Amino acid sequence: MQTLEYFQVESTEPAGGELYRRIASTVITDHDILRVLDRLRIFIDPEVPIFIAVGITRTVPRNIIVSDFSGITYDGDKVILSIADETYLAPLLELLWKRFGKDRIVQPDRFTIEMHLDPEEKEGIEEIVVADPTEGLFKDLIYTMQVICPEGFKVKRQSFQNGKFWFVASENTLQEDVTPLVEEQFAIMGGAS
Amino acid sequence: MILVPITYKGGVYRHDEILDLIEDMGGYIIQKHMIAQEVVLQALIPRDDIETLRVISRPLTGEVIFAPLVGTEIAIVSMSLEIHHLPHASCDVAEYLRTAGAKTNMIGLARGFGKRIGLLSDEERDIINEHDLVIYLFGNFETCIKQKMPTFRRGIHIPIVVTGGPSTDALRKVIDPPVAGYVGGFGRFMHRTKEAPEISKLDDIVSEVSRVLDGRRSEIAKDPLSISPARLMDVILEKLPDIHDVTSPVPVVVQMDGVRVKLPYDPFAAHLKEVEVEKGVTIGMISDIRPSRMRDYILVKVKPFSDTGLMV
Repeated sequence: MQTLEYFQVESTEPAGGELYRRIASTVITDHDILRVLDRLRIFIDPEVPIFIAVGITRTVPRNIIVSDFSGITYDGDKVILSIADETYLAPLLELLWKRFGKDRIVQPDRFTIEMHLDPEEKEGIEEIVVADPTEGLFKDLIYTMQVICPEGFKVKRQSFQNGKFWFVASENTLQEDVTPLVEEQFAIMGGAS
Repeated sequence: MILVPITYKGGVYRHDEILDLIEDMGGYIIQKHMIAQEVVLQALIPRDDIETLRVISRPLTGEVIFAPLVGTEIAIVSMSLEIHHLPHASCDVAEYLRTAGAKTNMIGLARGFGKRIGLLSDEERDIINEHDLVIYLFGNFETCIKQKMPTFRRGIHIPIVVTGGPSTDALRKVIDPPVAGYVGGFGRFMHRTKEAPEISKLDDIVSEVSRVLDGRRSEIAKDPLSISPARLMDVILEKLPDIHDVTSPVPVVVQMDGVRVKLPYDPFAAHLKEVEVEKGVTIGMISDIRPSRMRDYILVKVKPFSDTGLMV
């Protein structure tokens, strides 16, 4: 866990906390969210019981546009896209079919897309947004926290705003407003920087 | 004749000679696995004949290892079937105990998680009680183990071994009244056990389970069973031809005080009851035959000598 700027797992039972630190580091690595996570603090009190995770994400990459992963050539009314990275091929095809219709989009081979477009339609092809990397980020982060959290903690609440996220879970009913709990953990994390 | 549990590992070539030898010695083959070119036998053989088996299997590059858990069926209880508890550590424990010769069954509880909300249903309880021993794989917090233990011991009358994150001493302290065995430092984790300290923890589980089962064996020895379960298995395999149509790798599972027969109860129980072990002695006379809660198998529990006055 060298790459996290701050990583702390604390518990009222220190031995248990240490074991949860190992669980957290395994899960974070397995779920491949190290690249987006900058700071993470987890607090567990099995007596209450409560699990609080607070964290800050790294600056996430900007939107993926067509020119990021394909080369564009114009040949008369034909626009040819040569795909370099197949990752975004499926969402791109969906978008093009929706915008121009399936009959005008041809895919002669795996890495080539041919489009028959009117001159005004050719404008801004390079700039079409194909994917938003932050879209799945919140889901991934929260899923990771759910896996780290003890399974009995079924009552959950979470939030993700402006690169800051928190996840609170308990086996019992959670208090109406969990903000003070979360703020306390954010303050400890902030104070350690 | 004292039978000793062993595992034999060797090649497929001429392994039938080993099978014959074990039978000639008066031993029993509990399980036989053929994996590619390798044969693994879990067997019970007379103590005095181990050396003979070693000598005869040497030219075949066979290996004879003492396997303390052969002839036992152990329940490994995971608190749920979620990613939190599976595949590690539950599968790791189940797999490791198999190397020591045990027949392990993994039981994933429907609602075992949580210190307050953890539950054990009557079906789960009954299935656990059909085994020789149960291992509860608990989590990392003492508080939770302490609070949930009463729920998980209620109605369980087989020995319980508890594993959990806190140290063995801490487990001993929080579990009251005591259970049969404890292995601390082995709670919830999310990675495969491959480092030396983790493997040694698995060894600790095997030795703790062996210790508890040895205690159970001496209990049984005080009032011996009317028939050895291994012999009962042999009789069933020999005299109940339908058992050979069962596709399960172990159609008759040997336990410490009985066998589990993987045939449906309704059509076969009456027939099984009438099977003769020796002249005039049927299986029904020396054992209780009842439906198992596991699928629709038959559970045969051998009665002690004091009950039947028979020893075959």
